[in-house]
Amino acid sequence: MHTALRFLTRIGGGALGWLQAWGRLLTFGARALVETFTPAVYNSATRSVVLKQIYFTAWQILPGFLLFAALLSYVIIQIVVTTARDFGLSEFALEVSVRVVVLETLPLLTVLFVALRSGAAINTEVALMNINNEIRALEDVGVDPMRFEFTPRVIGGAISVYALTLLSCILALILAYIAVYGFQPWSLSDFSRVIAKIFTPTAFLTLTVKSLLFGLAVTLIPIRAGLEAPRMLFFAPIAVLRGMVRLFFVIMFIEVASLALVYM
Amino acid sequence: MERAPVRAPLIKNLELKVGLLLATTGVLALAFIVYVLYARGTFQPTQDLILLANNAEGVTIGMPLTFSGFPIGQVKRLDLTEDGRVRIHIAVPEKDARWLRTSSQFTLEKGLVGGARIRAFSAVLSDPPLPDGAERELITGDATEDIPVIMARVKAILSNVEAMTAADSSINRALAHVDTVTGRMTGDYGVLEGVLGGPDKARKVVEALDRANTLLTSLNGISLRVDQTLAKADQRVFGSGGVMDQTDRSLAQVNAILTEVRESLKRADAILLAAQGAADNVNAITADVKGATTDLTILRVEVDDSIRKVNHLINEINRKWPFRRDVELKLP
Repeated sequence: MHTALRFLTRIGGGALGWLQAWGRLLTFGARALVETFTPAVYNSATRSVVLKQIYFTAWQILPGFLLFAALLSYVIIQIVVTTARDFGLSEFALEVSVRVVVLETLPLLTVLFVALRSGAAINTEVALMNINNEIRALEDVGVDPMRFEFTPRVIGGAISVYALTLLSCILALILAYIAVYGFQPWSLSDFSRVIAKIFTPTAFLTLTVKSLLFGLAVTLIPIRAGLEAPRMLFFAPIAVLRGMVRLFFVIMFIEVASLALVYM
Repeated sequence: MERAPVRAPLIKNLELKVGLLLATTGVLALAFIVYVLYARGTFQPTQDLILLANNAEGVTIGMPLTFSGFPIGQVKRLDLTEDGRVRIHIAVPEKDARWLRTSSQFTLEKGLVGGARIRAFSAVLSDPPLPDGAERELITGDATEDIPVIMARVKAILSNVEAMTAADSSINRALAHVDTVTGRMTGDYGVLEGVLGGPDKARKVVEALDRANTLLTSLNGISLRVDQTLAKADQRVFGSGGVMDQTDRSLAQVNAILTEVRESLKRADAILLAAQGAADNVNAITADVKGATTDLTILRVEVDDSIRKVNHLINEINRKWPFRRDVELKLP
């Protein structure tokens, strides 16, 4: 009886803690969004953080990322085009490959790339700042860490993810044209017709919102996970681990939700 | 936050680089939006075409209207009329509207694979162009609708084929018979054996033919001999020195004999006349009776002799003319 009660208490406590963590994350996200749309946030200090965040998240990885995205896109498009041709469905090859690569694969790939690189870094940095009491110190001197440290990173991260997604998607569209029609400009009207069919307002909006949500998640969740870590050094890896797993689930949730929205 | 100013100088042209990235992203995003809008025909003036169909299954918004395989329009809206028919609104760019004429036909085709297709056919391109907002009937043809009918027929055909190919089917039996016959044909007597059903019967036929040949050969000999016989008969009957010749000669002799007989009879007449004259004067004659009776005896001998000769001659003719009764010569 006692064991059962303890078991139930533990379950309940775990569930509450889990819910509270998600609740705090949502509250934090809402605050960050509010800050984002507060003009007072944008001063030279925050701008510098935003620029640096974009520089580290997007600019530094741009050549390697674009090369990787181009390779992956081209391979996927070629597989789809060849398979479609084998089954006598060439007319659907372009549409299928663009839907698979541009609408689904590349946004997900971008956010995973940024999450592994910058998300993990932000998570660790915030966790260490928290453990070293730097955040409390900032608060003590009257600097709002939310406004001067976190919100600029969220903005920079979101812009970076959006920029990387857009650039890789446009590169993939060009590669898709080349893969399907070859190096010649006369099939542009056919291509335009397929693009017009795919990029309905709904699809366009879904892609944009999804990309922005990915950008928000990839910075918000690591920051929140870093802040939640108990102020002991050995909790830093655990904080990073929790943050990354949570980030992965959120990314997948956004992806599945967007798919459900477009295709159901 | 004190680290920011320390790190800043380490990044060269930070603002320029980020600005470049953001500007490129922004320009590309805008260009892409404009391109998609252009591709969706936002900047193209279009005219409306309304197609009426009983069933718009498979028709989706954004579906192309094709002419000769080229998309010239797009489905913009679908709605139902008061009488339950479907109105398909199609936007046709004005530059492509010239392919649609008043005589154009529109079909909705559903294949086995892929979506439905709306196709336009303009047979006479010199007809007046289709006006804006024109309403036309959509002719629907569905390949899948025919499948059950085709399947039923195929099943019937297959069962027939099955019956035909079964082990005891008539075709198989006929083929077996053909096999037997052709097998026989490869025997010693060829086709004859195939037709007659066995080497024994074929051999009999061949033998019969051989015998007939022999018979014909002997008949040939016989007819040759008959010919010779007839020639000989001809020779004998009609040739020189033949029966006819001899007959002719005999007849000539008969004539001569008959002349003699006549003369003898004349002399007899004369004698009888003399006797007549003598009878009147018996007395006168009695002296001459002796001489007269002597003459009579001689005469009688002569007459007898003549008659005997005639008789003999006729007998001889009878002997020499075997076909006296049947004058005609009957040929076999």
